Amino acid sequence: MTDPEPSDPKPSDTAASETEEGDVGRALERTSLSWTRTALAFAALGGVVLKQNVITGLIILAVVPLIWRLGRLPRSASTLGGLPTVGGTRIRVITASIVGVALLSLLIAVLGPSVPGALHR
Amino acid sequence: MSRSGRFAAWWPGGGADPGEGHEPDPRFTFANERTFLAWSRTALALVIAGLGIVQLLPPFPRVPIGRHLLGVPLIVLGAVLAIVAYGEWVRNQRALRRGDPLPRSVMPWILAATVAGIAVISAIVLLISALR
Repeated sequence: MTDPEPSDPKPSDTAASETEEGDVGRALERTSLSWTRTALAFAALGGVVLKQNVITGLIILAVVPLIWRLGRLPRSASTLGGLPTVGGTRIRVITASIVGVALLSLLIAVLGPSVPGALHR
Repeated sequence: MSRSGRFAAWWPGGGADPGEGHEPDPRFTFANERTFLAWSRTALALVIAGLGIVQLLPPFPRVPIGRHLLGVPLIVLGAVLAIVAYGEWVRNQRALRRGDPLPRSVMPWILAATVAGIAVISAIVLLISALR
């Protein structure tokens, strides 16, 4: 059995070594920060909704730790050929969360009591 | 691509089969994920803006539904953007795996067209409310 050619690594090997050694271009770190910003955006929306509807606001705020945690799931396994599957689950969770939050917001906007002029106080 | 093909591509797992093509450079995969997250934050910002307009702004004189005319489309646009962003992520991921050119994104067009439309509605609502 011969060792693989160092100059021709498999893509999965390359992915694993980049993740372990240097995180080339800080891609992993930037992506992790992007997940954090997304969680903060959810928190901001939860804060706004909390003033109008406590239960809905709390539901949205409860999603924040989940979003934050999704961005920190270990990726070593996902970079070895299964990234679309594992990553796809995260992406679908975010999409479903935003659509759910938008529907809740729509209900509050249409049916909920408003605080006219709150921005002027 | 046929309509059924497009739908299948958007369906969970339909456009990003791990067995399809080859594993792309992880940097490209991460970049695709960050782009999706950026659109998701844009969608959330639209929902926040719409909710704020409906719930916090004072009513427009002579236009009692003015706040809803402005806010509800923004919230709906937020939901639409989130769904379209998912479809774009799937399409881009599939193109990366196949080594194909990245498909053109329709999201800037959707966002620009809707924001322009809401700007026009805003101007009309403000003009009507100013005519006392």
